[in-house]
Amino acid sequence: MYVDPKVLKEESEKRSLDKTDQEIVQKAMEDGLETVWDRLEKQQPQCGFGQLGICCNRCVMGPCRIDPFGGEPKRGVCGATNDLITARNVLDDLAAGAAAHSDHGREVIEVLLETAEGKSQGYKIQDVDKLKTVAAEYGIETKGERKETIAKNLALAMLEEFGTIKNEIQLVKRAPQKTQDMWKKFGIVPRSVDREIVEALHRIHMGVGADYVNILLHALRTSLSDGWGGSMMATEGSDILFGTPTPNTALVNLGVLKKDEVNIVLHGHNPILSEMIVIAVDDAELKKLAKEKGAKGINLVGMCCTGNELLMRHGIPIAGNMLDQELAIATGSVEVMVIDYQCIFPSITDTAKCYHTKIVSTSEKSKVPGATHLEFHPENALDTAKEIVKLAIENYPNRDMNRVKIPDKPMKLMAGFSEEAIRGALGGTYKPLIDAIVAGKIRGAVGIVGCNNPKVKQDYGHITLGKELIKRDILVVETGCAAIASGKAGLLLPEAASLAGDGLRSVCEALKIPPILHMGSCVDCSRILMLAANIAKELNVGIEDLPLGGAAPEWYSQKAISIGAYFVASGVFTVLDVPLKVFGSPNVVNLLTDGLNGLINSAFAIEPDPVKAADILEEVIEKKRKGLGI
Amino acid sequence: MNTVMVKPERCIGCRHCEIACAIEHSQSKTLFGAIAEDPIPKPRIHVEVGPGLLTFPNRCRHCDPAPCLQVCPTGALSRDQETDSVIVDYNKCIACGACAMVCPFGIIQFEKTYQVSLDRNVNTKCDHCIDRQKEGRIPACVEACKTGALEFGDINDLIRTTRKDFTYKILTPSGGEPEVPEIPENIQAFRDIMKKITEIGIFQE
Repeated sequence: MYVDPKVLKEESEKRSLDKTDQEIVQKAMEDGLETVWDRLEKQQPQCGFGQLGICCNRCVMGPCRIDPFGGEPKRGVCGATNDLITARNVLDDLAAGAAAHSDHGREVIEVLLETAEGKSQGYKIQDVDKLKTVAAEYGIETKGERKETIAKNLALAMLEEFGTIKNEIQLVKRAPQKTQDMWKKFGIVPRSVDREIVEALHRIHMGVGADYVNILLHALRTSLSDGWGGSMMATEGSDILFGTPTPNTALVNLGVLKKDEVNIVLHGHNPILSEMIVIAVDDAELKKLAKEKGAKGINLVGMCCTGNELLMRHGIPIAGNMLDQELAIATGSVEVMVIDYQCIFPSITDTAKCYHTKIVSTSEKSKVPGATHLEFHPENALDTAKEIVKLAIENYPNRDMNRVKIPDKPMKLMAGFSEEAIRGALGGTYKPLIDAIVAGKIRGAVGIVGCNNPKVKQDYGHITLGKELIKRDILVVETGCAAIASGKAGLLLPEAASLAGDGLRSVCEALKIPPILHMGSCVDCSRILMLAANIAKELNVGIEDLPLGGAAPEWYSQKAISIGAYFVASGVFTVLDVPLKVFGSPNVVNLLTDGLNGLINSAFAIEPDPVKAADILEEVIEKKRKGLGI
Repeated sequence: MNTVMVKPERCIGCRHCEIACAIEHSQSKTLFGAIAEDPIPKPRIHVEVGPGLLTFPNRCRHCDPAPCLQVCPTGALSRDQETDSVIVDYNKCIACGACAMVCPFGIIQFEKTYQVSLDRNVNTKCDHCIDRQKEGRIPACVEACKTGALEFGDINDLIRTTRKDFTYKILTPSGGEPEVPEIPENIQAFRDIMKKITEIGIFQE
């Protein structure tokens, strides 16, 4: 398809910040490939009732909507006001996000159990220290016990917490006492992982309460069951099975795909099958087969959070974040894209049809029409992994080399900053970091997390905010798509400290670390919670007292709402750019952006301009420093 | 003269008007029937996006004199005296596009409709819901609009409300209670945010 090169260039610059991404955005347009940006344009205008949160599509007395200009209708058929409809919509979205994280966590722990019982294929318990530490928290005997026995007891204890009747989740006790007391005071201590989600679904049913404040408090409780429950279990379980990350260097951007090797992209969120694919590509027979098919080797690369998990633990190169999934295929060089779940475009198989790429779905709960389904089961995971690699190799001869275009310069990055690794690098205690904060060399820290959203130029929000914060001597920690964005921009390198303010730069240079630390996948936002919790405990304060902030500059998903809410509920003031679907209710807007301050000393702000977002975060950090008397 | 007045500042882009219009121009006159019809009915009002993601529902203004009516070579376009509407005789339309060339609003469209038995495209622009009007009902798009962006009535009456508001505003220190409510703060805040978003991505002008 001929498109004017000038138009291509301009359009690609609107869509994406990164040069390598722009190159492939242009190729996709030349190829006539429909991508997420095209679909967003075709969706214009997007319904204002939906965007403002005042559309209720729950029951069949409706669907209903409220006049945002104050006229009639002022209530849904059932009598719900704009406040109630908006609050129920927030809770609905948040519960879906919490469910996604927590169900991911459950699957990891299930694999841990099967591994402990000797029923899984290919898995080993790799971090025995962490196994023992976490088991001890659960009151599980570790002395003289086999690691399998400990793992079995821990897995059972964790799985029990999904539906526990104890009315508490063990990991929640990791929070500082003061923060926990605040949760108790407002009745938002999560009682089990599944229960809060089920109760959320109950509460959004017609006729279950009409008090928007009460509904939003439950939203906070549900988010806490994710952050300090399901997500944290996902992180801890994955660390025990696959190893706790330590700093490493690797490569990032679409340039990690290779011209003369079989390219396999691992896309999604849960590393349980992908970890087996990492083992499978070392198989001598498969390597031989690849050679026979004319490839120089097998090149495994990650995408989104499955990619982050593999990057953190093994330094596997990562091709990109959420908006790169179609672009990777558009390079024409991908033999197989393996998908597990979450953030995978439902149209991905149609995208693949434009090239020789095969999409392999692996989860029973995430099938896509047109994909080859090779289902993951722990009992034969390694066999399945080998089968997938074989499929990719056999697809290599189908690649049309004339249609291949791969950007030629992958960027280097440093990743692997688990909470344990950061603490370890500081000498086992946060004292050096605290001293730097007290001395004002580092003003505070901000967690930049979340997604890509085609409404915002890809990576623009993450990069602009990240740079703006480090310039102001604010340390940045990142997960998910945000971290991948910073990787592409070269901000995850120790050299990037030159972009930081003098104070932060001196600390980074002394420790040889980047000013922005990659802490993992989106469930690993739990690592950020632990970082905050451990610092607060050393200071004997609550998380809400610390000079911290959060931001989700390009968020799109329900999971991001849950993360934002558990940041805020844990005391971390959080800025979003794309507005939450709440502006149809001034009361809900006021509660989330202001009223919460009075409850939990933290709230949301909505600010699309990343420089202004940095101003807001800096102001919060300085206010909290003042509160601490520093 | 009865007309549909558009208050663009109150349009939120929900496209209810488009769906209601398509249903009104279906055989079944029901949503569930309309989506299964062949030819599938199409809306004759179009919610278009402008700068800052603001929207405008565009439809035939039933001009008088109407340029389209003046240039139609087959006499397919005529004026309904009772409702002042510009209407199309689908059997006379030859889809030459002359009307579209002169339409100042760009709202002429050529589609199939059940109202003509031949299998061809004809000018299916807004017919002002003339059948509904003759039954004493308001146009379907206006009925569907829940934000007051579309209003139906005598044009001078509709204009008078704004005039009266202005009089109140200028004569009372607090601005008085307007008949046309101001844009609420929360909605303005939302629009300001969306405008910023259009400055940092694919909606850039």
